[in-house]
Order: sequence, then structure tokens, then C-alpha cells
Amino acid sequence: MERSFAKEVQALKKGDGEVFEGEGILAVTKAALQSGVSYVGGYQGSPVSHLVDVLSDAKDIMDEYGVHLEICANEAGAASMLGASVNYPIRGLVTWKSTVGTNVASDALSNLSSTGVIGGAVVVIGEDYGEGASIIQERSHAFAMKSSLWMLDPRPNLNSMVNTVEKAFELSEASNAPVMVMLRILACHVQGRFTAKDNKHGRFSGNNKIDSPDFDYQRLAMAPATYNQEKSKWEHRFPAAIDFIRREKMNEFFDGDMKDIGIICQGGLYNTVMRGLEEIGLADGYGNSKVPIYCLNVTYPLVDDEVTDFCAGKDHVLVVEEGHPEYIEQQITVALRRADVQTKVWGKGPFPMAGQYTSGVIQTGLAKWIDEIKPEGADVDRAVAHAEHIGSLSGKAIAYLGTQVPMRPPTFCTGCPERPVFSAISLMEKDLGKTHISADIGCHTFSTLPPFNLGNTVLGYGLGLASSTGIAPNFSKRVISIMGDGGFWHNGLSTGISSSLSNKNDSVLIIMKNGYTSATGWQGVPSTPKDGNFDQSDMSIEETLNSMGVKWMRKVRTYSVGKMVKTLKQAMTTAEKGLKVIIAESECMLAKQRRVKAERAERLKAGKRAVRERFGIDDDVCTGDHSCIRLSGCPSLTIKANPDPLRTDPIAHVNTGCVGCGLCGEIAHAAILCPSFYRAEIVYNPNMVERVFSGIRKAMIRPFMTGEAIRLTDPLPGVMEQEEAAKAA
Amino acid sequence: MADKDTRPTTMMIAAMGGEGGGVLTAWVVAAARKANLPVQATSIPGVAQRTGATTYYIEILPTKWDELGDKEPVLDLYPGPGSIDVMVATELLETGRAMERGFISPERTTLVASTHRVYTLSEKMAMGDQRYDGSKVMEAAKQMAHGTIMFNMEKAAQDVGSIINSVVLGAIAGSGRLPIPAEAFRAEIEATGRAVKANLAGFDAGLAYAKGDIVEVLPDQAERQAPSRKPEKKVAEFKARIERDYPSEVHPIVMEACGRVLDFQDAKYARLYLDRLDAIRKIDDGRKDGDYKLTNEVARHLGLRMTFEDIMRVAQLKSRKSRFERVRREVEAADDQLVKVTEHFKPGPYEFASVLPKRLGRRIVRWADNNPEKARKWHFGLHIRTDTVFGFYRVRTLAAMRKVRRMGYRYHEEQELIDSWLELIKQAARVGRNMALEVCECARLVKGYSDTHKRGTGNFKRIADGLIRPAIEAGTDVSDEIARLREAALADPEGDTLTDALGMGNAPTPVAAE
Repeated sequence: MERSFAKEVQALKKGDGEVFEGEGILAVTKAALQSGVSYVGGYQGSPVSHLVDVLSDAKDIMDEYGVHLEICANEAGAASMLGASVNYPIRGLVTWKSTVGTNVASDALSNLSSTGVIGGAVVVIGEDYGEGASIIQERSHAFAMKSSLWMLDPRPNLNSMVNTVEKAFELSEASNAPVMVMLRILACHVQGRFTAKDNKHGRFSGNNKIDSPDFDYQRLAMAPATYNQEKSKWEHRFPAAIDFIRREKMNEFFDGDMKDIGIICQGGLYNTVMRGLEEIGLADGYGNSKVPIYCLNVTYPLVDDEVTDFCAGKDHVLVVEEGHPEYIEQQITVALRRADVQTKVWGKGPFPMAGQYTSGVIQTGLAKWIDEIKPEGADVDRAVAHAEHIGSLSGKAIAYLGTQVPMRPPTFCTGCPERPVFSAISLMEKDLGKTHISADIGCHTFSTLPPFNLGNTVLGYGLGLASSTGIAPNFSKRVISIMGDGGFWHNGLSTGISSSLSNKNDSVLIIMKNGYTSATGWQGVPSTPKDGNFDQSDMSIEETLNSMGVKWMRKVRTYSVGKMVKTLKQAMTTAEKGLKVIIAESECMLAKQRRVKAERAERLKAGKRAVRERFGIDDDVCTGDHSCIRLSGCPSLTIKANPDPLRTDPIAHVNTGCVGCGLCGEIAHAAILCPSFYRAEIVYNPNMVERVFSGIRKAMIRPFMTGEAIRLTDPLPGVMEQEEAAKAA
Repeated sequence: MADKDTRPTTMMIAAMGGEGGGVLTAWVVAAARKANLPVQATSIPGVAQRTGATTYYIEILPTKWDELGDKEPVLDLYPGPGSIDVMVATELLETGRAMERGFISPERTTLVASTHRVYTLSEKMAMGDQRYDGSKVMEAAKQMAHGTIMFNMEKAAQDVGSIINSVVLGAIAGSGRLPIPAEAFRAEIEATGRAVKANLAGFDAGLAYAKGDIVEVLPDQAERQAPSRKPEKKVAEFKARIERDYPSEVHPIVMEACGRVLDFQDAKYARLYLDRLDAIRKIDDGRKDGDYKLTNEVARHLGLRMTFEDIMRVAQLKSRKSRFERVRREVEAADDQLVKVTEHFKPGPYEFASVLPKRLGRRIVRWADNNPEKARKWHFGLHIRTDTVFGFYRVRTLAAMRKVRRMGYRYHEEQELIDSWLELIKQAARVGRNMALEVCECARLVKGYSDTHKRGTGNFKRIADGLIRPAIEAGTDVSDEIARLREAALADPEGDTLTDALGMGNAPTPVAAE
């Protein structure tokens, strides 16, 4: 794993009254232990990748309580795990990235929601919405509504988050329904503190196993039981949940002086709403607001009479609800109408329909609302002036800057083994023409960004090949699909490959085999090479494909661009029909470097011989046309001001980040670019033979070196120096 | 109610992957916790976790927990426009971005930013120079921020052998805006226990810069220049001629370029350079206004064009002693370490033709032009170890072949291209000086190797034939048009933009035929 929580997880042992300081996801793990959980699982994906990492690193502590950890093959697997709580009174917690993970999990999740549970079943979802999100922008809320499972959205401080997870188990058991706890991106990474409680042993667990199986047809998602289950949702589970939420005061009321108005907000937005009120003079920094607030830590189901009680007697109420559609606002409106409460409901209007509700958005929305309703006790002018001020800063800056600063899109890491594959595809397409490329989810999706702009569709994780099956027979060239090894095991194997083989599809599949799900922080996949960190792994993709009947399969080291181009051309042009698989293999460079650097440091410490490789560019040979960069995009292959006083365009430059992956040389060769690249091997602590040899070489080479440059006068300062001088002036 | 005492101190950090922003945040959070101050921090790594921008946000209440009683502060997770006390940016463009997003306000924000540039892909990919003008960000920052602490933190870090995050922490401490004393941060670095010495050095450097104890100085200019020879006998003739015939303001460029041509071939060739330039200088002489810009620009480009990068030139440049020294510097090799250097060459028909006699060379080039697929197969990948005796001698032999360069095809080809370019400048000068300057500047299109070079030459020809020649005949000044087409030619490697700009629609282009 990229990040180790080995030290942090020690905090999970804290007991009653101790102060726990740390990250949000660590607090969630602690809450699970405090709740007597018996099994945990999940599938990595930001923003809850680290939750999976924490669970792995906490294995020893988990073992002590007999808690089983399952690193699931995908989210469907994680959701299915909760099946344990259908028949038995044991608590389980699973996690994934949402909404995409929820979509993958939906089959199991729907069935689980139908049968209901008797042990607490909690899903912690990382709602990947807004700035920094990497997926489609949708709300997970809809899933809760259609499947009748409950959605909690705690205030983003560790106390509330921990409390909510604990209550989630109780709510789940009280209402026999699974519960989702939604954490937004920033809440997952929040650093804060709470007061810990003792960890609890589960009623049943690895330490105290269940002896006899429970059979009850009514607990199977099979007709006719499903008819009763649907009925039970509305007759039993829903009212039970409402009772519990009301009784346990899961939603919070904060009173204020301005009785005629009120704000209803999702728990996750509470802090930002409070800051907004503070900025326009309607609250202080300690949770004291002039405007009464009803904070929904449970966003589904709503407790209708809590809503009507809060609104009764108020002229205006503002619903602060992130995302689209505005399910909560609609439901509140219906509840008020049914109860014949005449409070005017505001929400979308002052606030934008879609998009993340950041501080700026909320402050602006609050000011708009205050300006609309002009309530007694509010300084309307101040609110409006504040909104205008914060709204004007950006425009002022842009005016000073003149032109907008260029974007900095993410790209493959320095030395990434996947980059060369796309260099090769670019070169292949130069000769054979462009074709349709079905891209997939993973680091390799960066191919869709500059400099490659390769990949015409992205339909979901592991779905690269599957998403090519409609277009392939309708496209004049063979189409190419991409799939990572993560995607392969996640579901590409069945959805893509087995289906493609049985349908006798004719296309080209590139499997990126770098050994990990690297985009989420190097979690292991089934084919991860076995070592100290990954003992569950080492399954073979090649043997799997062989046994499935893939006839045309080639394995190419990704950095061998020339060979990859040749193999791609073969795959594209061969008369052989059927699926052609190219396994593009090389280890994730980040993972490799972490290992290699440590090994080198160790050798150097011991005074042993070690070698470091990197590339360089001869300044005077580079002419500054940047073709190499357009075929690579490597962060360490950059530009610098031209040191030559006769030239103005910047030249290419390899910075110290270079790990010597070899791509620069390969591209220079395969694309026939230019001779300015050189590869350097730096030998630390060279041995005696090498030193003697090197001495002889030097003696034989030195006298024959070409003369230094002839000049008429002293050198002019290069452009680089000129620029620096100008900057300093 | 947003009183000073209830208001947390807010800090946003705009960093990039790999700069240690997470560790930096952890230092600040830990120091705040030790000071018993309420603190909350979060980050937005998202999909940008690898190489894009990464943002961290921290709120610290300047009132200690034990002074708060039972009051619980509500801290926000989102940075708000106009409400940032300390805006940290680890790169210059990211400072501009923070400004664009409204996070820097004149009332409140102290800007702590590094002035170095990490170029974005769009800047790097451009065929010419598309770098964003960083000075605009510097100027805007002075207008938009309440106070600024800006210096090259990357360099400061390199100077003391740390990574940038510790320098940034030092600068933050030096700003005095956080309710935490510098000593507390130092203690935190020590407590972390990793690379303590380097991090403390970085911290102290950042602190000193922020307090103005260190002022940025220009890097030593002499150090970076390659050594050069000035054999007085050889160069005297040219120095005298230039000093005699040319106005002093063009001396620097003409001397530099003439020397390079001499270095490239021999005295005869250098004379040819000055003969060619004389013809242009005469145009400027005739203007009688003392403006020698055209001479200066042609001198520059002519020097570059006459020292075209053929195999012999590349070999010459790669087998100099100073070059091997530069390599050692560049790859940061210590004195007791060995450096093995492998060159990557891939000569093909064009390179072979360039050293063959004119006619034979021309036939090969014609064949290669007509059979690009086959020609590709006649490229030979060579990995030559120039630190070994045999490898070095091979390259050195190639360098020595420059003595017979004049017999080769490439030499003749280049001279023809140069002469036709100069002729075009002269003709354009009759229409107008600006037009001559623009034609001259089109030499920028011809650069690179192999396909890139061919494409550049082709683009130049397309602009010359499609626009410049007809305009000269008609006697119309099309300077702006030429500049526009030149930019179009540099806009994309496939030449599509140029095709569009030339209004050639579907006409096949030399590039599309590849």
C-alpha cells in the first residue's frame, strides 16, 4: 500500500475517556470497534481508499476481537458480505466509493434491502461529489429512497461521525434495514478529535462462532417472500426507523432568536452553513445561530412531524441540500402541504441546482435568501455586501492577470509504465490511422488527457472491453479496448472477456498489468506478485486467459515501445479473427521506486556498489521542437529557457525527478526523433576493476575529444540568464 | 458577530503531488495540537493525487481549549473566498490559480508562495514558446494580497538539500500569521524523526527568507557557460571584419553566430556567413535611420541555419570534454562515482544521404520520400556508450567527417534552402521592413530532426509559396498574415491548423501524406 497506517492504528486501542486525535476514516474504524462489529470489508476507491488501508493495517487489533476483514473483489462482493446479518444477529460494516461503487453493489444491496437484516448492517460510502471527485456526478441518496435503506449524513466533526456510525448499527437493528453512512470527500480526510470509548466484542465473531444455521424462507429474496418483504418495509421497518430516529434525537434542533425563519440542512453541510451565517453576522463561531436550524443527520427517511413541528409558525424555511435532484426539498414540501403548514420553502433558487456546496456557494446563497426575505434582526446590507465582495475577488484577479492561467490536468506519474503503451498506440495510429478506443477506469484513463487524447468512451470499471462490443462490428477498423489488472479482476474477466469469447468478437484488448490498483494507492489485486505485503495474491492473468480459450495473446514489456508498436500492428492487421489480447506488463513505478530506493539506500549505507539510472538532454543538440514531450508527457521531461543566445524557443529538459525508466530513449528510437537524449548510469561505490577500467578509458579518450567551441568573443549571457536577470530586476 | 476572537486562523495550501504537502499539513496540525489549540485540517487529493494540483485546508482557533470552557468551535472544511488568512502556493502558476478562485483578498490574505515554475503540459507541448508569463502573477499578487512572501522555494530547498515542504513551513512561520511560534514547528520537525537535519535546514532557510534575513541573489552566471577557445589567429580576421563593417549594436549576435559557423566548419564557411549577411546589412545601411534590427535578426537565424544539426555536428557536440562534464553535473554525479553514458541514435536514409555525394543522396531522399513505410525500416537503432573507448571513437570519427561535409547532399540542400530564404527576405524588404522581419522569423519553423525537420521545412515552403511569393509579386505588405501563419504552423504538429489558415481545405499536405 502507498500509505501505511501502522502507527496511526494504535489509536484504535484507546479506551473510555481517552482523547482520540486523527483522521476521519480512522475514527470510523474506531466507531465500528466500539460498536462490537464482527466483520468488515470493502473495495478501495477514493475518498474511502484509506479506510480499506486502515482496516488492513489494523488486522492485529481486529483479530483480537475476532473481526474478519475481507478485501473484496469488488463492491458487489462487499455488499454481499452483509448477507451475514440477514440471518444472524452479528454486526458488519463495509465500505466503497459512491455512487459508482453503489452501482456495482446494487444487485446485492437491493436484495439485502428487501430481505432486511437482524444484525446491524452498515455501509460507509465515500460520496465522491464535487471538487476533487473522479467520477460521474450523481447522488447516492436516490438509491436509499428506492431500496428503503437509510441514509445518514453526519455533521463533519469526529464526535458526530463516530456517534453516527454507532447509532447506525442500532438503527439498522431497530428497523431491520441496512444503513448507509455518507461521508463527503473532505470529511473522509478531516483531522480532528473525539473522546473514545472501550472497544466491544461482537455477540458472535471469530472468537465466538455461530453453531447452527438459520433457515427462514421469509428471509430469502425470493417470491413470494418478496411480496411480504415489500409490505414489511412500509408497515414495519419504516415506522420503526422513524421511531428510533426521533427517540434517539439523531436529527438536531438548534434554536435561535429569529423565530419566523429557519434553516434545514444536511448534517454534512452544517459547519459550512454555520460559517456562512457567521460571515453575514447571524451566528458566532461556537454553534450559536440567530436563525433556528434543523440539522438532518439522517437524510432518509425524513421524520415528517419533526419537519412540520420545526416549520410551524415560520414564514420562511431554507433547505440547504447539495446535489440534484432536490429530493429532500421535495419531500419537505410534500410534508408541509399534507400537514397544511403554510411556511414558504426555499432551497434551489438561492442555491444552485447542481454542484458542490462550497463555502463560497453557501455564503452567496444565504445572502441571496436573506436579501429576498429581509427578515427582522438581520443586517441585509451587510449580507449582500459580503456576497458581492467574495464574488468580486475572482474577477479582480483575472483582470490583473490578463489571461487565464493554464489548467494543470493530472497525468501519468514520472516513469509510469502505462505511458509508453499510449506512446506506442499514438505511433501505431500514425501508420494505420486512428481507431476507436474503449477506455476503462484506472490510472490508464489519463490517456484521455493531453498529450495522448486517446480513449473515446469510459463506461465503468472493468468495462473497457464490454463497452466495445456494440461499436466493434460497426467500425471499419479493429477497435481497441483497455483494461487494467484491477479492472480485469473487478469484473472485466466475466463481463468483458468471457462474453467476448463466447460471442466470438473480433477486437484487440490491452491489459495493463502493473501489479496493483495503483490509482487508489497500491492495494493488491489477485495477480499482485506475492511478497511480504501481499500474501493473498499471485494468481495468473495469462493462465486464466489461456484456460478461457484466448488464442492470440502476447505479453510485452510496456517500456519496449518499438516492440509494442509492432505487436499492436500485428493485432490490428492479422487475419486471425477473435479476441487478441496484449498484456502490457511492467510494475507500477511508484511502487517500484519505493522499493528500489530503499534497497539502494541500504546498499549505500553498507558502502556497497549501487547504480542509479536517469536520462538527460544535451542542451546544444536539442532544437526545441518538443516532439518528445508530445509523445510522452512525463512530468520529469519538461522545458527550460534556452541557454543559447541565438535561440528563443525553450528546450526540452529532464529534471532531477527522472527515474530512468527508459521511455525517452525508446521514443527517440521508435519515433525516430532526435539524438539529444542520453542515458546515464551513475555507479556509486564502483569496484576496483571498474575504477581501473574507467581510468584506462579516460586516458584513451581524453586526448581525442573534440575541441571546445570556437568563439570570437566571450559568451553572451544565454536567454536563461537574461530571463532570470529580468525577473530579479 | 464574526468577532476577531471567535474567528479561526485559516490557511490553504495549494501544492502539487510529491511535494510533501501532506507532511507539511501534519506538522502544522501537530504543532497546533501540542499548543492545545483547536485545529481541523482536510485535503482534496481526489483524482489529482498523482500529478495534478493537491489542496490542503487548515483552521486553527487562536484560543486554547482550556480557555474555551464548554464552548465547542465549529470549524469549516471548505476554504472560502475572501476568508483565507494565509494562502500558500508551492508554485507560481498555482498562485495565479488561487487568485482566480478568489482565495487571495487584499483585506486578509498573506500570500506565501514560491516563484519557481513547474510548466503545465500545454506549455511544454507547444512547438514554439507558449510559456505563461509569470511576471503577471507576481504583479497581480502584489495588488491582490494583503502581504506577500515570495521567493524561489524550490531553489532554497535545493541549496540546503531538503525538499520544498520544510522551506514552505519556515516561510509560513516567518509570516507570523499563525498563532504558533516558529520554535513549535521546529520541535515538530524534530519529533517526526525523519530527515530531521535536512528539514530543519530547509525550515531555517524559509524562515530567513520570510524575515528578509536572506535576499534572493542571481545565480552565478559564469558557472553555467561552456568553456570556449579563442584562437586569436583564426578569429582575428572575422573580428576585424565585423568591427569594421557592422554597427556595434549588432556585434554581440554577429560575433556569436559567426564564431559558431567557424566552429561548425572552417574559415571559408565563416566568410560565406559574413558575405551573406553583408547583403542584408546593405539593406539596413540604405535605410539611413541607424536601425539594424533586420541585420541582427538575420544574423541570428543565419548562424543557426548554417550550423544545421547533421550527424557530424551532433557527434562534434557530443564528444567535447565540457559536454561530459556537463553530463556529470546534470545527473548529479559525485566525484567518486562513475558515469556511463549511452547515446541514442537512429540514423536512417536521410542521415545516410546527408553524408553521401549530392546526386546519390538526392536519389535516396527521393526514394525515402516516396516510400515512407519502407524508409522507416531502413533506420538503425544505435546505442553507443561514449564513455567506452570503442564507442567514443565511433562518435569521434563521425565528428571528424565534418571535413568532407561539403561533398555531402545535406550540405547542398541546406545551402539552397538558406539562399532561397535570404532571397525571399531581400525581396520582402523591398515591400517593407516588417515583412522582411517576418519572413526572417519564419526560420523558426525549421528545426528538429528527421520527420520534425522535414515537416518544418515543408511548412516554411507552404507559407512561402502560398502567401509570401504572391504578396511580393503584388507588392503588398502581408506581415501580420505571415505572423499568423507562422503561429498556425507552430500550433499543432500535424499541420492541420496551418492548412486551415492557408485556406487549403482538403488539399493534401506533405504532412498528411506521411
